[in-house]
Amino acid sequence: MPDIKVTPLGAGQDVGRSCILVSIGGKNIMLDCGMHMGYNDDRRFPDFSYITQNGRLTEFLDCVIISHFHLDHCGALPYMSEMVGYDGPIYMTHPTKAICPILLEDFRKITVDKKGETNFFTSQMIKDCMKKVVPLNLHQTVQVDEELEIKAYYAGHVLGAAMVQIKVGSESVVYTGDYNMTPDRHLGAAWIDKCRPDLLISESTYATTIRDSKRCRERDFLKKVHETVERGGKVLIPVFALGRAQELCILLETFWERMNLKAPIYFSTGLTEKANHYYKLFITWTNQKIRKTFVQRNMFEFKHIKAFDRSYADNPGPMVIMPGYCVQGTVGHKILNGQKKLEMEGRATLDVKLQVEYMSFSAHADAKGIMQLIRMAEPRNMLLVHGEAKKMEFLKDKIEQEFSISCYMPANGETTSIVTNPSVPVDISLNLLKREMALGGPLPDAKRPRTMHGTLIMKDNSLRLVSPEQALKELGLSEHQLRFTCRVQLHDPHSDNDTLGRIYTHLKSVLKTYSIQHVPDGTVIVESIVIKVTSSAEEPNLKVILLSWSYQDEELGSFLSTLLKKGLPS
Amino acid sequence: MDISSDESDDWFIESLNTYKDLHVFQLEHPTKVIEWTGDKNICVAGYTGSRSEILELLLPLKLYAGENQGLCAERDFKVQHGGFSEEPIESLIHISGTRCVVTSGSSSSTLQIWDIGGDDSDVIKRTGVINLKSTSVKGCKIAPGLTDEPAVLHGSCISEVQLTEIATGRVLYTVAKESSDSVSGLQFVNACVFLICASDGTLFMGDTRDPSTCHYPLEDSKSGLHWAFGLRSDSSQSEPSGCTVARLSSSGHMLLSDLRNLQSPFCQTQLNVQHDASKNDFLNVSWAPVLDRCLSVSGFDGTVHIYNTINWSTEGQSPQPVFSHRGHEMSDEAKYSGSPPVVTTHSWHQSRPKTLLSAATDGSLHVWDWVDKITDR
Repeated sequence: MPDIKVTPLGAGQDVGRSCILVSIGGKNIMLDCGMHMGYNDDRRFPDFSYITQNGRLTEFLDCVIISHFHLDHCGALPYMSEMVGYDGPIYMTHPTKAICPILLEDFRKITVDKKGETNFFTSQMIKDCMKKVVPLNLHQTVQVDEELEIKAYYAGHVLGAAMVQIKVGSESVVYTGDYNMTPDRHLGAAWIDKCRPDLLISESTYATTIRDSKRCRERDFLKKVHETVERGGKVLIPVFALGRAQELCILLETFWERMNLKAPIYFSTGLTEKANHYYKLFITWTNQKIRKTFVQRNMFEFKHIKAFDRSYADNPGPMVIMPGYCVQGTVGHKILNGQKKLEMEGRATLDVKLQVEYMSFSAHADAKGIMQLIRMAEPRNMLLVHGEAKKMEFLKDKIEQEFSISCYMPANGETTSIVTNPSVPVDISLNLLKREMALGGPLPDAKRPRTMHGTLIMKDNSLRLVSPEQALKELGLSEHQLRFTCRVQLHDPHSDNDTLGRIYTHLKSVLKTYSIQHVPDGTVIVESIVIKVTSSAEEPNLKVILLSWSYQDEELGSFLSTLLKKGLPS
Repeated sequence: MDISSDESDDWFIESLNTYKDLHVFQLEHPTKVIEWTGDKNICVAGYTGSRSEILELLLPLKLYAGENQGLCAERDFKVQHGGFSEEPIESLIHISGTRCVVTSGSSSSTLQIWDIGGDDSDVIKRTGVINLKSTSVKGCKIAPGLTDEPAVLHGSCISEVQLTEIATGRVLYTVAKESSDSVSGLQFVNACVFLICASDGTLFMGDTRDPSTCHYPLEDSKSGLHWAFGLRSDSSQSEPSGCTVARLSSSGHMLLSDLRNLQSPFCQTQLNVQHDASKNDFLNVSWAPVLDRCLSVSGFDGTVHIYNTINWSTEGQSPQPVFSHRGHEMSDEAKYSGSPPVVTTHSWHQSRPKTLLSAATDGSLHVWDWVDKITDR
């Protein structure tokens, strides 16, 4: 049976890294190639031995698709392509292509230069890897090869995030990556058309949550900032420039204006320039509101928010500073994880006395979002990755009942096979159609299938159904006829002619619905079967019945020979 | 959306000072019930549409993080268990000490018994039914028994009120009162003593050890009004002397009575609310479990009002609430829908003094911890 196979790489209930293998229509695709940020050893990379024990992956994969720039979706890409080995195409959207290398390089710097690790990719490897990238535009179908095509859809979540449709013939899969069904301040909501894929693959890490509203998260953020500033304190907001920074700046600016606050807000200069540059490039990926603002002024030109200079660090009094994203391994990251003592260079230890507030603004789809997406795309089957099957039986029931589709929840490392029922389009020759119609009988019922005979010719990706004669003619073959003959011996005292007559009578009584003829030239014909009776001069009572039939009447022929072997009734 | 100067934005900015914590959630389907099933768990259930979902939710962990609140990012509800009901759910109660809940709906003549489940599965399964004498569109009113053996007190009209043992279906007690008045609410005061409030405001007090029940009609009951009640007791093993009953009418009339003297309420007052008969269903009055003599009222509109009854007197003006939660009126959903949402139910947190949960007709579910302007500064 034709099927689609899906294997999320990783072990057990491991969440934190995405790398999914899909086999569809004879093609193998890798969806995302993430790094697990919780491990410091080889466990952070996906286990590619599932694809092949040794050696390069190029011949085993038709393409690799990356959904967005978060490290848990692209962090292992240079390792995969340059250290394990893959030379095929890597697809991602333009913003992802631009931003990935920045994050990868940052991460590499911390891991290798600061932490001194060795089994890690180099700067050159990142560059070499990115050379293999083929950028995607939204809603544009890209032919990976003659049979495999892919198309990207807007996913929300972060700048450049995409959901991807993969199609081979009439089978298709949609992979969502991380997506979000509610628009936020700088990004729109995910959208897909009613593409009715055979399978929709979605992350389900947040499937069993009901998300607190954006407004409340922002409220908490502003409350904390306000309280600190009122007390004369300083606020540090580590945020990725190309992520929420823009949103938070708008929020703070508006709040400062409204509350008539005077404390300065600073943003790290290097990041501002980079961020501006990228937003300019990818303005179409942001939402309407941002685009309108951008026309009037630069992305990071605010009344109350200015560029930061290191010399301000010792200024007394309240201030808010946005230094930038804290990659794993940095001092900032450690503080955000609650560490109270930091070991600095030169063995000095610092006590962390600042108050830490961890706030999550990232947008993921919850159960409601998943249901909305299914409603939009109308898949025939659903597959949820990165969830615990035991904890999601209710969601599975809900999906199965509401949409009457099957919902699969494989564990990492487990392969799920989804049987598809692809339709095979075949052209039928006019002659064949006319012939079948001429066979008569009641008018065909559109709802009831009717068996017909023909020859299927598969040539150059086209399928045609023609009559056998036409097929023979087209292929320049001569028709062969197969005939079977059988001799049955019978003791019968009558003359040959009389014996034949007796055979005729006997067959007529047994085979009531068949056409049986007694031809004067001494044969009995049943359908295409010819029956003759001969005897030798020496033994006139030993009759030899000769039966001959064509291949098409094999069954009837065998039946008659068995019947006649039993003898004739007296 | 930039925060512009419009009412709901103002309210959110104001909330920085007026609330200690505020969480706003959107359920897929609105609920009429919020029932505690554990220290940190509640059950909600749908009442619109023919099929409904029952969900057991874990409260946002951030509320419980205490000193480490800053490092806890978990602001979301977690759906721990879910199940499907064939009918819209009007009432849901939890049997203390078990994983069992009982629901009553608007279309069947049975009460449904469910097992919420443990760690091994997240599906809420139906384990049995209790047959009722009749079907009620408003659903049968139910209350958990307070004895060791799980039982449920139920009835849609006074004469049909009975106490049924859940495991066996055995009827343990029936109210021997020939009255077709419909029941607005019922509750056990302790293991044996229970109260029933009829829709017209009449109170019935009974004891499962005694076949007779006493009833206390209102002195001047106006027709057309619907009444709801809230019982304040110190613990489930209370003696009637320690309990106060609040009765609230759909026109905002409030009566406070001592269980020792249900005939004459010790306090009567008129709340400043608007009467709308279509919302009788949602009328809710609850006593705060921790704060002394505070009660909360909802069901008139999209607001929950909290009052301190210490200074209430029989004469005098309408009391002012010490706090009003207007969050449901200020949501984005409320802005775009035709009719403003109405709070369907609310519930106090069992141990945190000023934390409440409230739900509304638009599917919103809020968890909020309010600031008392007088005492919290």
